[in-house]
Amino acid sequence: MNTEKVENRSMMGRVVAFSRALHRAGVDVNSGNLIDFCQSFRFIEIGRRGDFYAAARATLVSRFDDLETFDRVFHAFWSAPISTMEMEVTDEDADDQNLEVSDQLDEPVDTVSEEEEEPEGEGDSDEIGYSPDEVLMHKDLAAMNDKEIEKARQVIAQIVDIIANRRSRRREPQKRGVEIDFRRTWRRNALYGRDGVALARRRRRIKKTKLMLLCDVSGSMDCYSQFLIQFIYALKREIRDVEVGVFSTRMTPISRLLKNKSVEESLREVADTVHDWAGGTDIGGCLREFNDRFAREMLKAKTVMIIVSDGWDRGDADLMRREMERLRRRVHKLMWLNPLLGSPGYQPLCLGMKTALPYLDHFMAAHNLESLVQLAKTLRSVWR
Amino acid sequence: MLRSIEEVETRFGREGYIADRTLATTVYLAVALGKPIFLEGEPGVGKTEVAKVMAQVLDTDLIRLQCYEGLDANTALYEWNYPRQMLEMRLEEARGIEKQEIGRSIFSEDFLLKRPLLRAIQGSGSNPPVLLIDEVDRSDEEFEAFLLEVLSDFQITIPEIGTISAQKVPFAVLTSNRTRELHDALKRRCLYLWIDYPTFRKEMEIVASRVPRIQTGLAQQVCGFMQLMRTRDFYKRPGIAETIDWALALMQMEIDELDSDTVNATLGCVLKYKEDIEKLQEDGLPQIIEKARALKDRAMRLKN
Repeated sequence: MNTEKVENRSMMGRVVAFSRALHRAGVDVNSGNLIDFCQSFRFIEIGRRGDFYAAARATLVSRFDDLETFDRVFHAFWSAPISTMEMEVTDEDADDQNLEVSDQLDEPVDTVSEEEEEPEGEGDSDEIGYSPDEVLMHKDLAAMNDKEIEKARQVIAQIVDIIANRRSRRREPQKRGVEIDFRRTWRRNALYGRDGVALARRRRRIKKTKLMLLCDVSGSMDCYSQFLIQFIYALKREIRDVEVGVFSTRMTPISRLLKNKSVEESLREVADTVHDWAGGTDIGGCLREFNDRFAREMLKAKTVMIIVSDGWDRGDADLMRREMERLRRRVHKLMWLNPLLGSPGYQPLCLGMKTALPYLDHFMAAHNLESLVQLAKTLRSVWR
Repeated sequence: MLRSIEEVETRFGREGYIADRTLATTVYLAVALGKPIFLEGEPGVGKTEVAKVMAQVLDTDLIRLQCYEGLDANTALYEWNYPRQMLEMRLEEARGIEKQEIGRSIFSEDFLLKRPLLRAIQGSGSNPPVLLIDEVDRSDEEFEAFLLEVLSDFQITIPEIGTISAQKVPFAVLTSNRTRELHDALKRRCLYLWIDYPTFRKEMEIVASRVPRIQTGLAQQVCGFMQLMRTRDFYKRPGIAETIDWALALMQMEIDELDSDTVNATLGCVLKYKEDIEKLQEDGLPQIIEKARALKDRAMRLKN
């Protein structure tokens, strides 16, 4: 009896230490789940590593992103390595197991060669480089007079209105709504007896979108800062709860700076704080920084994220793909406004833009007034 | 009831679902601990199937709730049958029945439209039902919060009737295609299981069990082909459902050896997007077929 108790205690100690190890590696284990794990010992043979592993995985992990880390920590912690393979094999026909397609895939299959090609592509895009002439041609938004700025302001306000006030699929009571609310009609009439039927009506509720704006402030985007300022202005007017971040080679959240101050003033301050204003671009790296450090706090499932950037990226394409994918899962809609998209003959050829494209819900121009009006129209037709 | 991990494996196998040890352990623990299972994985890896098979294994009802954006408590839980209530009221009034009596009668269970969650909690059979909440990632945050409440207590309150709580906790299975992350609180209530694409060997077993009359050679080629396809980048990679469809189609056409023509003719079973089909036809289809056949030959040699 006594020895069993002691063993139990040491086992619990090990489990708790294991959860700490997980925590250190970045997988947070909830104490409730830890208890579940311990309870599962009653039902499995702890001696069987495979089962023990499966039980730990089922109870302690709840996100796909954590699985890899979990496996690593598990194998390291419970010393003798155990492979996932091993668990699938029943001892009898281990021979057959050699026929795992994966080992054949080590031979050059198409994917491998594709990967090899990738770096070349990257090299190409680097060579395209960045020409100041091209930017001058499209400096439209930056080179506007006061009247035009006023107009742009209105259009931007419209766009923001569409983004901010989406019709939810949920209903709310409204006196002159289009739909009849049968449930409330019935309740109301049950109360007052049967004299006349007063129809209760309802409509689709307005859903205030949470908005997250990521602005590229690298050198290639410098001339569009006027547009950015207007855009942020309009956003702030329409939505109280908007988060803004700027990036070029590093990600800097500036929501806090924007509070209590005018946008111009804050942007000036931001320019002082953000040391890499108008520098180079590493979109993938910045997105990783965002996903790792800020996403959990700033993003909700309903968030619409708008990235304003020209997509000139000098970073790692694989990294960017991975981070775009992570980002896509965390937000409701992902939009990319590209000031270059409007220029005739422009195609999203640069690697950064090409990588991002598959993950976007909307990819739109934002280079002059006309494109902004178009943007408003598109959004209205898609979201209303 | 399921008493051991091995029993889960064999019972699932008998129903034609090849469960690996991890899945069997998780299912067994879910039963033992009375917790819901949260299944994630690419489309077409057999997430929904787990619930269906579980209902057969436990010999009980499968109650399915398909999620969508805007799904609310009234559609998921219960709603009063308003037209019927109104008719009943008029009838009873005409018969001169007391007002209070009418009130009591129209708010009885007869006038309740039971939606999936209420049905799962009440449970009609002798065994607790299997509750499948499919594609939770498509519902919205409000519904997630509501679900969290239901899944933690398995009891609900209808003001006119009272509180109904589950006699036996239903076996709940939640699935998600991971188009978005669910709230941590909801996931914490559940046992988590990520279902991956099957290995070649497992897929062979699945095909053999679902398409019993298939020739081993063809099955090996089909599975090999699918394995190779999944290493490539498609908008929608083929899942197990596609493998089975394709195997059935090829068998109908009495084909036992893959070649370019037959694959091209039946590619619709495997890829469901025009862009994907074009991509494959332009690049590497013959190589994949060749590799799949080589794989079969190797498998055959190993066997003999």
